[in-house]
Amino acid sequence: MMRKRIGIRWKITSGYVFLIACLLVAGVFLNTQINDIKVQRDEIISYDTKMRTMSNRLERHVLAMESSLHRYLITSESRYLEAYYENAGAWETTYYELGGFVQTYSTRQENLDYIYRDIEEWIATIAQPLEQAIRANNREEMIEAFNGEQSSEAISDLQLQFTEFRNVETEAIANKIVELDAKNERLTISLFFALGFIAILAVLIFNTISRRVVTSITDVTEALHNIEASNGKGRKRLVATTNDEMKDLVDATNALLTTMENRQWLQQNLADVLLEYQGIEEVSELGQTLLKSLTTRTRSVYGTFYMQDAKDATKYVKLATFAEARHDIGRTHFHIGEGLIGQSVLEGRALSYENRENGLRFIETALGDIQVANGLIVPIMFEKQVVAVMEIAAIQNYTAQHRALINEVVERVGVTINSIQTRLEITRLLTASQLQTEELQAQSEELQTQSEELQMQTEELTAINEQLEERTKDAEQKTRELQVIQVELEQSAEQLRQSSNYKSEFLANMSHELRTPLNSILILSEMLAENADNRLEDEELEYATIIHKSGEDLLALINDILDLSKVEAGKMDVWFSETDLRELPQHLESMFTPVAQQKNLQFHVNITKNVATPFHTDVKRFQQICNNLISNALKFTEEGSVRVKITAPPVTEQMQEISEQWIALSVTDTGIGVEEQKQELIFESFQQVDGATMRKYGGTGLGLSICREFTKLLGGWITLQSEVGVGSTFTVYIPSLPQGLQRIVEAPIPRTPKVLPVERVYTNEVFNGKTILLVDDDSRNIFALKQALEQKGATIIEAGNGVEALEKLEQHTETDIILMDIMMPEMDGYEATRYIRQQLQLDLPIIALTAKAMKQDREKAIAVGASDYVTKPLNLEQLFSVLTVWLAKKEHHYG
Amino acid sequence: MDKQQLELQLLLDAIYALSGYDFREYNRSSILRRIEHRIRLEQLPTITRLTAEIIHNEPLLHTVLNDFSINVTEMFRDPLFFRTLRTDVLPKLAHLERIRIWHAGCATGEEAYSMAILLKEQGLLERATIYATDMNEQVLLRAKEGAFSLQKMQGYTKNYLLAGGEEAFSDYYKTENNRAIFNQELREAITFAQHNLVTDQSFQEFDMILCRNVLIYFSVPLQHKVQKLFYESLARGGYLGLGDKETIQFTPIARHYHAIDVAERIYQKS
Repeated sequence: MMRKRIGIRWKITSGYVFLIACLLVAGVFLNTQINDIKVQRDEIISYDTKMRTMSNRLERHVLAMESSLHRYLITSESRYLEAYYENAGAWETTYYELGGFVQTYSTRQENLDYIYRDIEEWIATIAQPLEQAIRANNREEMIEAFNGEQSSEAISDLQLQFTEFRNVETEAIANKIVELDAKNERLTISLFFALGFIAILAVLIFNTISRRVVTSITDVTEALHNIEASNGKGRKRLVATTNDEMKDLVDATNALLTTMENRQWLQQNLADVLLEYQGIEEVSELGQTLLKSLTTRTRSVYGTFYMQDAKDATKYVKLATFAEARHDIGRTHFHIGEGLIGQSVLEGRALSYENRENGLRFIETALGDIQVANGLIVPIMFEKQVVAVMEIAAIQNYTAQHRALINEVVERVGVTINSIQTRLEITRLLTASQLQTEELQAQSEELQTQSEELQMQTEELTAINEQLEERTKDAEQKTRELQVIQVELEQSAEQLRQSSNYKSEFLANMSHELRTPLNSILILSEMLAENADNRLEDEELEYATIIHKSGEDLLALINDILDLSKVEAGKMDVWFSETDLRELPQHLESMFTPVAQQKNLQFHVNITKNVATPFHTDVKRFQQICNNLISNALKFTEEGSVRVKITAPPVTEQMQEISEQWIALSVTDTGIGVEEQKQELIFESFQQVDGATMRKYGGTGLGLSICREFTKLLGGWITLQSEVGVGSTFTVYIPSLPQGLQRIVEAPIPRTPKVLPVERVYTNEVFNGKTILLVDDDSRNIFALKQALEQKGATIIEAGNGVEALEKLEQHTETDIILMDIMMPEMDGYEATRYIRQQLQLDLPIIALTAKAMKQDREKAIAVGASDYVTKPLNLEQLFSVLTVWLAKKEHHYG
Repeated sequence: MDKQQLELQLLLDAIYALSGYDFREYNRSSILRRIEHRIRLEQLPTITRLTAEIIHNEPLLHTVLNDFSINVTEMFRDPLFFRTLRTDVLPKLAHLERIRIWHAGCATGEEAYSMAILLKEQGLLERATIYATDMNEQVLLRAKEGAFSLQKMQGYTKNYLLAGGEEAFSDYYKTENNRAIFNQELREAITFAQHNLVTDQSFQEFDMILCRNVLIYFSVPLQHKVQKLFYESLARGGYLGLGDKETIQFTPIARHYHAIDVAERIYQKS
């Protein structure tokens, strides 16, 4: 709606013009009026002058004529006559002139007419006759014609008429002037009116104009305030109510607002974008965020973000994408100069492209494919280096604003990327340094541990050494005693050995001696029992059988005793020879199966194939062992089975030392078993589980002892596993010894490894030989403490105050520790302590004695250099503890 | 993997299989130093020989396990740490009905006793339970005794005073057999238990967890794992105290804490 433009200037100008016009009109009018008046006035004045001049001239003409005539009459000089003629010819002219002049005021005409008539009359009556007379040169006539009186009268009359005329005229002029004055007055009044009117008009006009101008300014101001109040929300615009400069202002302001809004949009979005990637710690996350925020703000549909490769600076790798339909879209990387994007990086400036006919690419959306119209490639710079590059594309064109936003963001992102990279680097370095710090700490602790271990070992060694030294002393003493004892012992041992030998020999001899008569008993009783002649009664036969049986038992016993005593006396001969153990099962079976069958027991002998052949041992003794074990087993088994197994056992290192080849013969029964406590015992001579067993099963109780001794002789050992009521397994381990036995083997004890902590020897005499300086002004305290500490073996030095304490300390440099009371006369504990630390530079422990409640006292005591404090009243145990701690050897300091 | 690393890996696998102690995620360089130390002492040519030895020689296995357990500790170690606990942390726990404190990797228990003393002096001991755990049962046995060598007690006294001790340190112990034995009251306040940070889970919620100079022996992933364990075991607003060379910075969990005292490594769970 184009309205006709009426500018404020025009308005004001037109107002002014109108007023000036009014003024001009008024001026012109007034001027005209004034001029009119002036003209009238001039007319009047000139009329007055002219009228007087003319009337005077006319009067003079008349007077001149009369006087000329007179003079001619008198003189008759012609020149007067000529003057007369001259005037007579002139007056009429003058008269007409005056008449024509006066005619304007017709009212005066008649007066003038009177004058004319009078002059005419005078001429006709006086002058003409005279003239004629003159012409006729008739003097008399002349004088007659010139009647003096008549002429004088006429002239006077005429003069009177002139005066009358002039008076009337003057009066008329005066009237005219009055009239003019009145007119002038009216003019003045109308002038004031006109001025007043114009003033009012001016006020009205300017009021109107100013109101219109101010109203539009107020409108704009108000609108501006509104916009300000709306805080940039909504796109409010000013509306111009007038088509003038205000409209220009409004338009300009609206334009400014638009610019401002655009700028604000830019800044707001810039700030938002910057805020969005604030605190991001990963470049790829930054790229993603950047793309997301920029594409949404610029209505882009597609975006990729490439980052300069850390290793290859010419290579840029895809880090983030936006709105990608498929992940394989967008090159994974490119090099500088490759394609448009590479070109952009090379040049370091943004490139844009528009959709050419065939289109760049299609963006897949849920609705289908959208063709991209515009693309922007923006390199991201830091310090003139392209650190990253971003490409975005949109369906519509990018506005300048979009581009501005992109530019602004990109300008700042470079720094951010750099700072992220720097931060990552710093974090990496910090982490590395943290790890190193931890590593150092770990190493230091390890060293400390090692050092402590060494320390501990050293201490242990020292302790052991001390112990050893003491023991050595004791031992030396004891050695001497022992040497005496040893001699005695040796003597008695010798005696013992001898007596033992005597015993064994005696036993052997005895057995031998016993066997001889026994033989006869056996033979004879057997013969008797055979009852060849059937001479014996049944009863007698039975006696004979019992005698024989008892004799055999006795013989077996004697043999056992003999064997055992031989072994003990070292007289048992062992003959190692080659043997084939594979024959053993058959032998054993033939021997024991009948006995087993008799007792309804199962009896099996097995031998494994890996048993060494040939095997070197004393076959006789080995068989004796077998026999003993098996008959034992059969004896103690009521039901079940007895199984014999001969195997090659796993050879331990220890066994290897004796022989490479071993056999293990185990005899397992389902008999009564042996209690665990008695398992050792049954191998001792004359021991059975208990008397009851003995009574029940009979036997001498020597069998197992013999077995054990024999296995020893064969270089092996015997073990027992048994459970009461379940059965027992005796296993004999025997080596193959082609060279015979070198030494007796002790059965290996399964070694249970245990860490034996070295028992530290504590002297527990911390106070022994220690010198303690007691500083207290209370003699009772000193006395009590002295008693207690001296009992512990410490040497006590007393001091009643600080000064004394320092003196005593100087005398007794051997002082180990000071117990320092705080409140003392002369020099208190603080001062004394400070003096000892600072002046004497002593670092011996000082234990301050402070009051329980006084925390400040304690702090002060520590501050002046006390090592520790105990509170009064003293608890003896606590005091001893503290002293123990502070008298302890100083800890070694580690790195 | 170079051969030494392979040998080390195999040794650690063997140790794990034999003992159940998993050192495979420990800081390798530390482990390697301990192993090399052991190899020198045992006069073995290679790590593999040590592997063979420990398989057949159980006492040696225990020796090696002991080597791995570094038990460097002292009472009121880093006294300023304990001073900060006393002034800044414990007062904030005072309102709790029960104060549960976990001392992970307590070794011979010195710091746990220090904590008990702190609590005692703040009047909180009756309400507090200190769980002190270590993977090494032998050191736990020593810790339970609450008896420390006299030589160290002088240093501990100094630390106690530096940490702002309010009583006489000797109030808390008596000497016996050249050892300083801490009062029963303190010993009873601490529950010592075997717990392996590498393999075991959290067992309760705590108001404060102290784990000082333990993480330095762990690899970074293991550190993170253990940090996570601590985080999960801490009550909201609970405190975590680390060793002076350790930090939660650079761990994923760091932003869930805020520092109470950065220098003393005391953090609070947000």
